[in-house]
Amino acid sequence: MSENTNRSENSKTKRKYPFKIEHPTEEHRPETMINAMKDILNADIYKLPLSIYLDTCARCNTCSTTCHVYQTTGKVEDLPAYRSEKVRRIYKKYFSRSGRLFGRLAGAKELSEDDINSLLESAYRCTMCRRCNLECPMGVDNALITRIARVMLSYLNLMPSNFEISVNSQLEGETRNTSAIPRIAFLDTLEFLNEEIEEIVGCDMGFPIDKEGSEILFIAPVSDYMMEAETLMGNAVALNAAGADWTVGTEFYDAINYGLFYSDEKLEQILQCVHAEAKRLKVKKIVVGECGHATKTLKLFTEILCKDSPVEKIESVLEFTAHAIMDGKIKLDPSRVSETVTYHDPCNLGRMGGVLDEPRTILKACTDNFIEMSPTREENYCCGGGGGTVTMDDIYDFRMNVAGKMKADQMRSVGAHYVAAPCANCKKQIRELIDFHKIDSTVVGVHDLVLKALVLDDASQKKSDSDES
Amino acid sequence: MAQIELAGKMFDIDEDGFIQDASDWDENVGAAIAPTEGVTEMTEEHWKVVNYIRDYYLEFGVAPMVRKLCKSTGFDMKKIYELFPSGPAKGACKIAGLPKPTGCV
Repeated sequence: MSENTNRSENSKTKRKYPFKIEHPTEEHRPETMINAMKDILNADIYKLPLSIYLDTCARCNTCSTTCHVYQTTGKVEDLPAYRSEKVRRIYKKYFSRSGRLFGRLAGAKELSEDDINSLLESAYRCTMCRRCNLECPMGVDNALITRIARVMLSYLNLMPSNFEISVNSQLEGETRNTSAIPRIAFLDTLEFLNEEIEEIVGCDMGFPIDKEGSEILFIAPVSDYMMEAETLMGNAVALNAAGADWTVGTEFYDAINYGLFYSDEKLEQILQCVHAEAKRLKVKKIVVGECGHATKTLKLFTEILCKDSPVEKIESVLEFTAHAIMDGKIKLDPSRVSETVTYHDPCNLGRMGGVLDEPRTILKACTDNFIEMSPTREENYCCGGGGGTVTMDDIYDFRMNVAGKMKADQMRSVGAHYVAAPCANCKKQIRELIDFHKIDSTVVGVHDLVLKALVLDDASQKKSDSDES
Repeated sequence: MAQIELAGKMFDIDEDGFIQDASDWDENVGAAIAPTEGVTEMTEEHWKVVNYIRDYYLEFGVAPMVRKLCKSTGFDMKKIYELFPSGPAKGACKIAGLPKPTGCV
């Protein structure tokens, strides 16, 4: 099957873009891009890593052996080092001493309109999975360079339409979440889930709502409240079975943060919203639902961007549940899940977040039929929808035939009944891959299986009964 | 913005064909959208799904959670995909006259 480049035309302009963009800036593009890089190089968090990553690349192309996009297309443009070279050239020409002094003599080119177009295309053919970083002898992080490219492009409002719509919905919309779920609908959904949980486990183990002074705020990617009932119910029963003192908040209830993929400013603003909700509810800890980028954003950037937050600890619900299993607080019966189960490591949780053993601890407690994909753990392939690209319907062909090809092959070859993927983005991409490539598997969250395998002792049943009376 | 005539009325539609003003919707309009989503005939079962989504949207301002849709209509996901090949969010919501679902996923 051939890849369809699917260029959508913006009717107001002559320029064509590789995907839908809401309000692209058309004027003074090269100057704006150079100023953007200047800003980025002045930012504390980037100074050191960027100067190293942009100065060092041995052009050895070891990264060619690791990139799922390059391995599928074999095109030089999809080499991580080649992609990063587009950013590196701007840096060398305008910001390195030699570039400024001798750039012209050394043949360094001025940044052109075509360079910008080409950078835009490149920046969104990389799913920021960081697999290339594993093998790079110089330790260059091409995903960070991709991110820098995307931040620079955002100065020209060149970001995918859905990124902008989602972020605006969170920061400026009435509902303050990316799925535009109003508070009354959120409350109705929680009530529905609580009834469902009671029906399934036989006692009240639902979501506590706006319980001020709880120890833990649980916050999920909000799309779970549309799509992933089993995951959420599994999250709730795990927290309750472990005896956690927890709550969900109903003023800001979306852990998704697309700022991570293109804008430091938006990233920080959304992060502040989560911490404001934590502060309102006076919690000490945040447990993030099954979501790679949301977990990474909260765990990694809180310390840098939300120094004043009273929250002392942030962890993934996978870490929470795994520790509760190891401490003997949650009991699971592995005979309840008789089908084969494999695990997809979301890049932002596994390779980048080190959450590798915890999901396996949970899955092995839920079933005796756990099988690994190959390669796995740190070396696992991206689902093909990373870096936010899963939201871009106009690159569906690319996601299915190129970026998701290795993942589809992996899933077919392992042949498991369930593919557990604890990430809203991975789930959507994998569900589409399974459908497109006609793979005989079903995608689930890790906690979907916790819900199936949970064993309640008489004590928790009785406690629940006495709570009700 | 593009316009389309459905059941004798003009509607503004977005690039994916979702109608912009849900208030002018009626069942004839829904039936006119259906073929664009691979639904050749709107049966009683189709209407059960579409009307549930529509009523939920009018009360709560968003489409219902998928599991709630299944539970309330008595159809499982397989059945819903049989009825609406493009799925509940794209197919059924579009026929029900809801705006395009926003969001990342």
